[in-house]
Amino acid sequence: MMQNNDILAVEDICFSYREKRILNDITFSVKAGEICGLLGPNGSGKTTLLKCINRILENESGSIRIKGRNIAGFSREDIARLMASVPQELNIVFAFTVMQIILMGGTSRFGFSGIPVKRDYSNAMEILEELCIEHLAERRYNELSGGEKQMVLIARALFQKTDILLLDEPISHLDFKRQHTIMELIKKITRDRGLTTLITLHDPNAAGRYCDRLIMLNRGCIVHQGLRDKVFHAESLEAIYDMRIKIEYTDRGTEYVLPDYIQ
Amino acid sequence: MKQNTAFVTIIILLLLCVIFALTTGQYHIRLETLWDVISCKITGRPLSHELAIPSMILWSVRMPRVLMAILTGAALAVGGVVFQGIMRNPLVSPSFLGITHGAVFGASLAIIFFSKTALSIESFAFSWAIAAVLLVYLIGNRGINTMTTLVIAGVIVSTFFQAAGSVLKYLADPYEELPAITFWMLGGLNNVLWINVIRAFVIISIGILVIYIFRSRLNLMALGDEEAMSMGINVKSSRIIFMLFGTLIVAAGSSSCGIIMFVDLIVAHISRMIIGPDHTRLIPFAAILGAAFLLITDTIVRIMPGGEIPISIFTSFLGAPLLGYLLIKQANQWKA
Repeated sequence: MMQNNDILAVEDICFSYREKRILNDITFSVKAGEICGLLGPNGSGKTTLLKCINRILENESGSIRIKGRNIAGFSREDIARLMASVPQELNIVFAFTVMQIILMGGTSRFGFSGIPVKRDYSNAMEILEELCIEHLAERRYNELSGGEKQMVLIARALFQKTDILLLDEPISHLDFKRQHTIMELIKKITRDRGLTTLITLHDPNAAGRYCDRLIMLNRGCIVHQGLRDKVFHAESLEAIYDMRIKIEYTDRGTEYVLPDYIQ
Repeated sequence: MKQNTAFVTIIILLLLCVIFALTTGQYHIRLETLWDVISCKITGRPLSHELAIPSMILWSVRMPRVLMAILTGAALAVGGVVFQGIMRNPLVSPSFLGITHGAVFGASLAIIFFSKTALSIESFAFSWAIAAVLLVYLIGNRGINTMTTLVIAGVIVSTFFQAAGSVLKYLADPYEELPAITFWMLGGLNNVLWINVIRAFVIISIGILVIYIFRSRLNLMALGDEEAMSMGINVKSSRIIFMLFGTLIVAAGSSSCGIIMFVDLIVAHISRMIIGPDHTRLIPFAAILGAAFLLITDTIVRIMPGGEIPISIFTSFLGAPLLGYLLIKQANQWKA
């Protein structure tokens, strides 16, 4: 049931691919300003769910409401004004520059022509400066490292100027340091800009550390969901990963998740 | 700045090609004569006696041929850019989608079974090129990875029309119809009339204009379907627009001049290397470079000692090694 401060409400979403059920009666809601993590093993339906929310895939049944409005009949342009998506990885064939990639994020705002004006260039530059990657503006996207590419895609999503960000495993290809740099950045922009972020994650430690709310999926069904403090425990993680898990604490009281067989 | 220099360079190159093409040939026309004829036409001054023959050659023979080469070169190059963009592959061309073989089949059909007039051949070539692309779209627009299925559908439709074209060649009368089909398949601008130029001008300029208006969609589609969708583009309708207008301009060029191989692929590829992938600059750049490329190759085949050879032979001899060189160069870049 949708509440007043829910920005996104997903109700009874089902999706099948070639008769195989991928998502089964998915229902959850996210409040404005939250970072909501979608956690689950490979094949649990996290990415499919994100694509259904962004309407790249058409769900068989159920509804998706943004600020109370069912987006079923919305055009692609309308949806692009509501939510921006950051893919897990973007490999492109042509040698677009970082600035060109970022400006493409604003296409839905540029009117019929889809062509940016001078002011859009300076707005894009401001975002690059905010993320401290202004030096990459004229570099070719293809020549960047994995972490830099991820920063560029986040900058493009910010340039899209939407209230909701959808991020699909943004840290799965990155080294340990980069993983935390990107997650800290996502947390900062969500708070500073008053965004709502839906993020799929493989790493339960990152989910526990950075998310306000967690949706835990296994085999296309929600196993647990709720505020992070209520659902982030060994039993819920064991239920989604089908393995024994323990949560330990550092001297500072930070939780970390371990497989139970590690001493 | 670098890009502006590239634009100025190819515009100058095109102008030089135009002057070279208008003045060179079996009947040499001097630059002063060319200027006199053009200024007489513009100002309405009566032509002097000695300008009568050059004027006739220029206005009846060379000018339509030069304009047709410019239009067809631009159309093929922009067609190449469009199909490379929507297929996200810098090494595809309209012929990958069956356009070329569809057009050859249509022209052969007209030559054998219907009227051999230029209008009949052109309209048959044109309609079958469109039919080939529609067939590709109907077969290929299924499944999750539409881009791959479209390319495979292109190969299927091309192979089918190639086989059907061979059957028609087998059935053709070897003395009258077969030479006409063969000439059409090898391409040439030697039978171009003003009426062909006007028809091609209307279709090609409208086609390129529509493609240019929607250029931002082409940029997004070059990133991938899901990327384009998440940034607000209706991928299905955009793909239909680009395939339809891309085919329209290529077929409009081919229907008057026959099949001209490699220009679409080579010019689009070189343009991307020089000016970059942004279609705002890429489309006009490729159009100008394509015009200059086809004009210079047509002029060369026209002045060949021993008589004119079909243009596709020359563009293929020039294009194939050039494409091989570009591939090797690109592979080395990837290794580095």
